[in-house]
Amino acid sequence: MSVEWVHPGILLILGAWIIPFLRGRVKRAAMLILPGAALVDCVLMTPGTYGVVNFLGQELVFGRVDSLSLIFSYIFSLIAFIGMVYALHVEDDSQHVTALTYAGGALGVTFAGDFLSFYIFWELMAVSSVLLVWLRREPAAVAAGFRYLLVHLVGGLIFLAGIVVHWSQTQSLALNPVADGTAWDLTLGGAAWGLILVAFLINAAVPPLGAWLPDAYAEGTVTGAVFMTAFTTKSAVYALIRGFADTELLIWLGAAMAIYGVVYAVLENDARRLLAYHIISQVGYMVCGVGIGTRLAINGVTAHAFAHILYKALLFMGAGAVLQMTRRRKLSEMGGLYKTMPITLGLYMIGAFAISAVPLFSGFVSKSMVISAAGEEHLMAIFLMLTLASAGTFLHTGLKLPYYMFFGKDSGTRAAEPPRNMLLAMGLAAVACVLIGIFPGILYTHLPYAADYLPYTLAHVMSTLSMLAFTALGFFLLLKHLDPEPKVSLDTDWFYRRGSSRFLTLVQGPLARLERGFVGEICEFLIQRPVLGAAAVLRKLDSLVVDSAIIGVGRSTQTLSQLLKTVMSGHTQHYGLIMAVGFLVLLVLAILIP
Amino acid sequence: MNFLERLLEDPVRFARIRLGCYVVLGIVALADIVLPLIFHSGEHHFSFESFYAWGSIYGLISTVAIIIVSKLIGKAWLMRREDYYER
Repeated sequence: MSVEWVHPGILLILGAWIIPFLRGRVKRAAMLILPGAALVDCVLMTPGTYGVVNFLGQELVFGRVDSLSLIFSYIFSLIAFIGMVYALHVEDDSQHVTALTYAGGALGVTFAGDFLSFYIFWELMAVSSVLLVWLRREPAAVAAGFRYLLVHLVGGLIFLAGIVVHWSQTQSLALNPVADGTAWDLTLGGAAWGLILVAFLINAAVPPLGAWLPDAYAEGTVTGAVFMTAFTTKSAVYALIRGFADTELLIWLGAAMAIYGVVYAVLENDARRLLAYHIISQVGYMVCGVGIGTRLAINGVTAHAFAHILYKALLFMGAGAVLQMTRRRKLSEMGGLYKTMPITLGLYMIGAFAISAVPLFSGFVSKSMVISAAGEEHLMAIFLMLTLASAGTFLHTGLKLPYYMFFGKDSGTRAAEPPRNMLLAMGLAAVACVLIGIFPGILYTHLPYAADYLPYTLAHVMSTLSMLAFTALGFFLLLKHLDPEPKVSLDTDWFYRRGSSRFLTLVQGPLARLERGFVGEICEFLIQRPVLGAAAVLRKLDSLVVDSAIIGVGRSTQTLSQLLKTVMSGHTQHYGLIMAVGFLVLLVLAILIP
Repeated sequence: MNFLERLLEDPVRFARIRLGCYVVLGIVALADIVLPLIFHSGEHHFSFESFYAWGSIYGLISTVAIIIVSKLIGKAWLMRREDYYER
């Protein structure tokens, strides 16, 4: 690795290990300096190819730096910094080491220029993020962690299979950009293409492969879940931009995903699960934009990923603060918290306005690019689906969740504001959301393509404001139907949580009876009986013919030898007599036969 | 007692806030109809976007549709007892 280029991911992964050896203020300083240094490292980086290593005859590229990897590296290291501020008070070194390793893995994926290094960091992310679930150290979290790991290991194996197929076809592990500069040179519709696409769709939580996300994110540690919202799905979006831009399938999957998350959010009672379903919904916009694949769409996806990481982390930090201070996670048990947690409420609402694309907040300048890209391509159904989903986003994140968490029926809980570092981290994210919303140019100058998009037009602001206002009206009109119910909703994780045990019951009960009764009878009639019958016949044949033949030969040999024994008397005069008789017989024969 | 508590706990102030919200809603809906008539902008991608108060109507329809359809799906199929996976 060259001296002039330091890999920010490896800086975090290795640097994380000094944290357990430090104490007090020095440790807290190191927790901030590490991601801060990674952020500075990324900002100072210039496009080019760095960190080329030869390994077993393959060329590994750890630093493929271009405009797309740069903007993702900025946001990944920025959110690692904000997340560490949020976690400063946590006295659990393993969580800090894990979180920094996870962030390092995401940066490694971002800069990877070949499949092998990409895969190594991709798996490192899966392994380190599962620890952020397990470290909550509760039975439910351990179980959810195992399910999360199961899904991601399967995804990783599918990815590996895709890489092996690709390698065996091309003898190359390089992530070669094709002519237009973005997509990888995978044969469209080939086995490698399909396997790698499925692996990415699992990590991007595209239904029906996405149920792991609400399952695990709602069980993670308060601070760990903030990191989880940022890295796994967004690095998958990054990978999809790199490899699968302009794939029509993704347009429909993404739009369906945007609505899918909204539907589940209506039914959800757990605050963090509700927000997790809105990650699925928001990533749906990104997957859809990748599928549209025009310059505006790819810019929109990148901008939306950037804005989304900030506001979603802010929302998770707000919900996490409530969870930590009240020890409650269900909306049906909260309410009235605005009295004692007004600062948390205010900061949460900034995140809620940002995700709802309220003008002057970050979501407005990023989400609208994706929707406009759908409009420019005249995809009417997609345009309507995405617009409907954004009404749903405001409905849940901006109205339902804050209403039941902070207002609504007073639950009598009187929780204090969270520690100052948590408020500070939320403040940092909130400032970023507002800054991007007011000065979108800050974000637009770093997008992969030159951006000439204008979010603040009269028509756009007006239609957004009126849509949001009437979404709010709809919410208050139907408020009594939205009361959160203490229920769980089935998702596709049913198949491995319940389906597998149902399958075993089926195997052990009806299938086993069927096997013993029906299959067993047929087997006996068709195979067992004929085989046993034939065996009996053969045995009889054996004892009658073969055995008696052998016995007969033995007996006749015995009789003959008894006969010969009488001749062999041992007296020389007998032998001489026999010889004389024999001689006479031969003589007679010689005379008689001419 | 913080600022929000003073606003929301007092019935008179709360009624005033609610009235204010309806007024804002009315203004927004009116602006949504009137403004496009004054400033013609040719940036629409689809014809339905220039329909009167399109944003307001679609926003309300979307919200009602999302709530009702989701609840129907939930009641009929997806929602189970809270201890469903523990049993």
